[in-house]
Amino acid sequence: MWNDLKAAAFLFSKYVTRGNKGTVVLTVLVATLAFLQINLISGIFSGALGLIYEQTKNNYVGNIVIQPGKDQWGSSEEYITQVSELKRKINAIPGIIGCSSHYTIGSVVEYDPDKTGKDIRTISWPVKSIDPKDEMQISGLHNYMLAGQYLDESDRDQIIMGREISGGYGAMLEVQSLKGVNIGDEVTVFYHNGVTRKYTLKGIYATAFPLADMTAFVTQKEMESVLGIHDRASEITIRTDDAYPEAYYIQELRKAGVELPDIRPYQDFIGLVLGLAQTFDIIKRIVLFIGLVVAGVTIFIVIFIATVSRKKQIGIMKAIGMKESIIVASYIMLSLFYAVVGIGIGLVLLEFVATPYFIAHPLLFPVGKTSLLIIRSEVATSIICMLIVSIIAGFIPSWRVSRENIIKAIWG
Amino acid sequence: MIKVTDLKKTYSGKIPVHALKGVSFEIPSGQFVAIMGPSGSGKSTLLHQLALLDDPTSGRILLDGLDVLTLTDRKRTEFRLRHLGYVFQEYALIPELNAIENAFLPLMLLGMKRKEFIRVSTELMGRVGLDNRLHHLISELSGGEQQRVAIARALVNKSKILFADEPCANLDTENKGIVLRLLRKLCNDLGQTILMVTHEPEQREFADRVLWFRDGRLVKEEYIAKDVREDAIHNGYRTDVSSD
Ligand SMILES: Nc1ncnc2c1ncn2[C@@H]1O[C@H](COP(=O)(O)OP(=O)(O)OP(=O)(O)O)[C@@H](O)[C@H]1O
Ligand SMILES: [Mg+2]
Repeated sequence: MWNDLKAAAFLFSKYVTRGNKGTVVLTVLVATLAFLQINLISGIFSGALGLIYEQTKNNYVGNIVIQPGKDQWGSSEEYITQVSELKRKINAIPGIIGCSSHYTIGSVVEYDPDKTGKDIRTISWPVKSIDPKDEMQISGLHNYMLAGQYLDESDRDQIIMGREISGGYGAMLEVQSLKGVNIGDEVTVFYHNGVTRKYTLKGIYATAFPLADMTAFVTQKEMESVLGIHDRASEITIRTDDAYPEAYYIQELRKAGVELPDIRPYQDFIGLVLGLAQTFDIIKRIVLFIGLVVAGVTIFIVIFIATVSRKKQIGIMKAIGMKESIIVASYIMLSLFYAVVGIGIGLVLLEFVATPYFIAHPLLFPVGKTSLLIIRSEVATSIICMLIVSIIAGFIPSWRVSRENIIKAIWG
Repeated sequence: MIKVTDLKKTYSGKIPVHALKGVSFEIPSGQFVAIMGPSGSGKSTLLHQLALLDDPTSGRILLDGLDVLTLTDRKRTEFRLRHLGYVFQEYALIPELNAIENAFLPLMLLGMKRKEFIRVSTELMGRVGLDNRLHHLISELSGGEQQRVAIARALVNKSKILFADEPCANLDTENKGIVLRLLRKLCNDLGQTILMVTHEPEQREFADRVLWFRDGRLVKEEYIAKDVREDAIHNGYRTDVSSD
């Protein structure tokens, strides 16, 4: 057995060193390209998806969100109560960086730029409240101010808006927005509970994550006066140190006596993205499949031509007493060689050319900029698949030719 | 060494061809036998059956006392590797291997140590007069040289029987002489049993014995007289008579 492998390896080494160099180069090139396209496209999609998750976590809801859950009638229109007590409990848990409570209420925001009533623009969207200091720990909105200022604790008649509400500043959903409110302009908010307030636009922010940029914020103080309640919240968002997965911290929260039923990780808040993730997954699989077929068929054809054109020599090798298995093994080694070298070059290009290139020239997605996200397990899968495919592509043609009757092989 | 009994081979097809119609003969060890006959008389077919490259329709073949037709395919392959040598009409060498690599391939398959098979095959390459062509690629060798590499490959395993199917057919006169004298010498020096198909009458004079075939039957046997043979060895296929 060992001896047979040595003989096969000997033949294989001569096919490579004494065979047609052009064939070797071109076949390896196809294997490299197949490998690269599989992993580049996967990497781009993974990058985009990873970006969406990161954006959700960093700029939108933090790691974990607590909501009041449904009341006995199945309606979720109630508030979390005793919020300051709850926040103290949460902040005491090791590994939790901070938490922030929000009120959310449906409203219509109205903007009348020239105050003549001729060009009144409205947008129907929930307005949220934040404690500006707490929120710094969660969404880091203060880092994303495009114009004007972030809210102060004591602000009452001020509002800040994401650019998708204010419009301008490259908003992606400009047509649905207020189409360009300026800092210092006055807007009117008609809250659904009947209260109406006028605010001055203090700041505009953009995280580049449309979901996060579709919100207007007032201070918690202001909102409690609008709602006439205190120490409650529509939701509490929590930031962890990312040392453990969210599930761990959710467990810790429950242990610490946070007994609300609706504690969820940020992944649950990208429902619309999950469909996208599945689509990306399907595309990745198609790309993997096509790449494997291209590499496999190319290697198959190369080995097929090599064996068919050497049919006579294969017959002669059998005539002098070489086992078929040695012949087949030598061609499987050849096809594995094409794949292994192709993968090797592909890995080098991926690591030292493509990755630095995309870091230097990030791709622009509606959710922000991303470079490649190379997931090791996916690369490993593509490598294993390519090796299996190349073994099959080497085996089938060489097995078919080497199985042929010696007389037929040599004398046609 | 070889004992053939009532060997028949029919090629099936639309019109079955009875290539061998019951052939029996015996060849002792160390004999150089020429097989002659008109085209289509079954010479190649006979060699294929004896060299275990094909399955006869019926009959018995004993090689060195072993009933080889009872062997499985695997065993036959191994038998070919260990005990038989075959020289094809065309220089049937492997183009990716150089001369010595072609010659030592069977020893490598037999699992011999590298140093040992290099030594054995180098010596044999010397014997066939190619010590200065060891590392040439096949494409760099003349037809006669290629055929001598093929002979070296066929003998490198110390084969019991060397089969050669018109080994000189594609060679010029000079190379024919070289190859025939080489075969004769191998028979004389090593006691090599040789079965050579040819259809040039002069070539048979290098052999000890001739089996004449016609239409799938052994029709005549001829023993070459010693002086005829000696004369062929000295003067046959000479292009430059004065040099001898
Ligand atoms: N593979 C085959 N299939 C069918 N018929 C065959 C096959 N090989 C040989 N034959 C037929 O068997 C007969 C004997 O062929 P064989 O090749 O043994 O003749 P030969 O004596 O070697 O002739 P030559 O001197 O031309 O080489 C011929 O009629 C030939 O056509
Ligand atoms: Mg013939």
